[in-house]
Amino acid sequence: MNLLEVTDLTVEYSSGGYKVRPLHEFNLSMDKGELGVLLGASGCGKSTLLSAIAGLLRPVSGSIRVNETEVVGLSGKDMNEYRQNSVGIVFQAFNLIPSLTARENIELVCRTAGRTRAAARHQADHLLETVNLGDRARHRPGSMSGGQQQRVAIARALALDPPVVLADEPTAHLDYIQVEGVLDILRKLADADRTVLIATHDERLLPLADRIVELSPRVAPEASVQHRELEDGEVLFEQGAPGSLVYTVESGLIQLFRSRDDGTEELVSEVTPGAYFGELAPMFGLPRSATARASQRTVVTGVPVPEFRTGLKPNR
Amino acid sequence: MAGPGSTVSPILLASLRDLQWRSRRFVLAALAAGLVFGVALMMSGVANSFTVEIKNTVSSLGATSWFVKAGIPGPFTDPAPFPASAADAIRSVPGVSAAEPILVSRALTHGAIQTPRGANLAPGPERNVNLLGVVPGHVGAPRVTKGTPLGGPDSVVVDESLKTGIGDVIALNGVHFKVVGLLNGVTYFAGQPVAFVTLGAAQQLGFSGASLASAVITKGTPEGSVPGFTSLTDAQVRADLKRPIVQADQTIQLIQVILWIVAAGIIGAIVYISALERKGDFAVLKAVGTPSSHLFAGLVIQAIVMAVGAAVIGILVEIPMSSSSSMAVRLALSNYVAVPVVAVIVGVVASVMPARRAARVDPAIAFGGGK
Repeated sequence: MNLLEVTDLTVEYSSGGYKVRPLHEFNLSMDKGELGVLLGASGCGKSTLLSAIAGLLRPVSGSIRVNETEVVGLSGKDMNEYRQNSVGIVFQAFNLIPSLTARENIELVCRTAGRTRAAARHQADHLLETVNLGDRARHRPGSMSGGQQQRVAIARALALDPPVVLADEPTAHLDYIQVEGVLDILRKLADADRTVLIATHDERLLPLADRIVELSPRVAPEASVQHRELEDGEVLFEQGAPGSLVYTVESGLIQLFRSRDDGTEELVSEVTPGAYFGELAPMFGLPRSATARASQRTVVTGVPVPEFRTGLKPNR
Repeated sequence: MAGPGSTVSPILLASLRDLQWRSRRFVLAALAAGLVFGVALMMSGVANSFTVEIKNTVSSLGATSWFVKAGIPGPFTDPAPFPASAADAIRSVPGVSAAEPILVSRALTHGAIQTPRGANLAPGPERNVNLLGVVPGHVGAPRVTKGTPLGGPDSVVVDESLKTGIGDVIALNGVHFKVVGLLNGVTYFAGQPVAFVTLGAAQQLGFSGASLASAVITKGTPEGSVPGFTSLTDAQVRADLKRPIVQADQTIQLIQVILWIVAAGIIGAIVYISALERKGDFAVLKAVGTPSSHLFAGLVIQAIVMAVGAAVIGILVEIPMSSSSSMAVRLALSNYVAVPVVAVIVGVVASVMPARRAARVDPAIAFGGGK
């Protein structure tokens, strides 16, 4: 059994009143000792995946199992215990509490989990030594460099010795000297009992990885020119689906709808004969941002991006 | 593992550290709320003084009962005069061991106009005094705290708030009297001092010497009645004396409540701003498994600490404010003890909204890209 099993995970959230689905039936499994790197463009769902594994986001469907514990569906005290004992999180912006010293930031996590003051202090000092910051225990985050803060954040993530450590862009705010120290620590974290999953744009992390997971939109299969005849109300493509063709209306009328987070649809635009639509998804590798539906008997022609570019003329 | 309750202390640590971290803001808020507490405390003292002065004034005459004309609510608020000879009939009521007429009226004064050595003084501002005419050496004659008891027709015993000394000469409605004795806290109608003169002098001042009285006060509980008169107890007289200032008292209480609300608003606003600024901290704390209830408790603790600090400041600023007030301010130890108690309540009330906001923070925002 793998330490971390993500199966058919679908996550949706609301953004600006619209429903967004960054993860759709996503799968991942990682074993002890593995260090995985999640790569992908902004908005592709890296942080969302980490949030879901950390128990901070409730997915629409799917399963997340950590050490054979099903995370989806946990709530209240069980969820708090899971967050305390099963996952450690290293945040992009360090997210240390500014009013607390480095030691207190770590102690707070230990004591929240019920450790005694003495045990919490001992653990904090031990971890600060581990990340080579033993001499900075009494310093507040504001008086430390970005690299030092990130190392304290790593120490905090390890405070309760969790089996899974999640790191979100851990090198984003660091210069190259600071990155070196942080990378070294992150590599050492993935040991016999622990899995580390790092979301990043930083390709310098790739040599550390045991596994690289590219999180990019589902790519539509190659397609050739298509002519489609649609009946009134027939859907040409759904919002969120991958897209490979740019369409032109030959006759009839296409309406573009966007799903709202309250379950209703908003009419975005109407496309009349001679006009094209749906070009952004295939051009930029994004999911369709709206659903296209014929509002009467309609004929459309779909062309791949290269052909579309060749024949592009201003028509709107 | 730690024992029960140990999970509260980390949030206490975080709350106190945050207070230190943002100390300038919290101190300023505590100062502002402290001033409000101080004013509220002073208002309590003013309201208390209304009750205390009435009690002092009524008890200063040493009466067991008060006979007034039938249909009259009391001798002070509606002093309907009647012949002073009515005292003779009242003396014969069973249970009455002594009875003397008193006359209640008012006079204007400018305070001391002459020193004991005869040096003239510039008249002070015009003031109203409550004039009580009593029979010297009998029931109704006040027990002085300084000087000698009321004596001859040109002598007067006054409350210390009139700021005169023994031997000073004052003018009451233009007639000169020599201050022979002083009283402490014998005022009514919101701090207006009482001046005791002889019954004859009061009759001369108010009624051109007509032998009239407003009430007959007795020693001994009357066991019978006198036609045309009503017998009142001290408690009834106190209630009558308080009636004209009931609305003022209620207004003061309303202002006090408003002041507590203002203090809660000051503390609540600061804690709310703090909660907004700490949204990220709360998200992180929730992400590492801190229960929402602990975040709620953390902000309540902050508000209580600030409110108690404000209460201490309030008590400290009340002292100079009250001493410079022209109105009497009387505070008991219980009033001072009540301030931190009320402050805790104010703190809890003030923190509810920000604390609820903190408890509802979505932990996913701890991730930059999380929703």
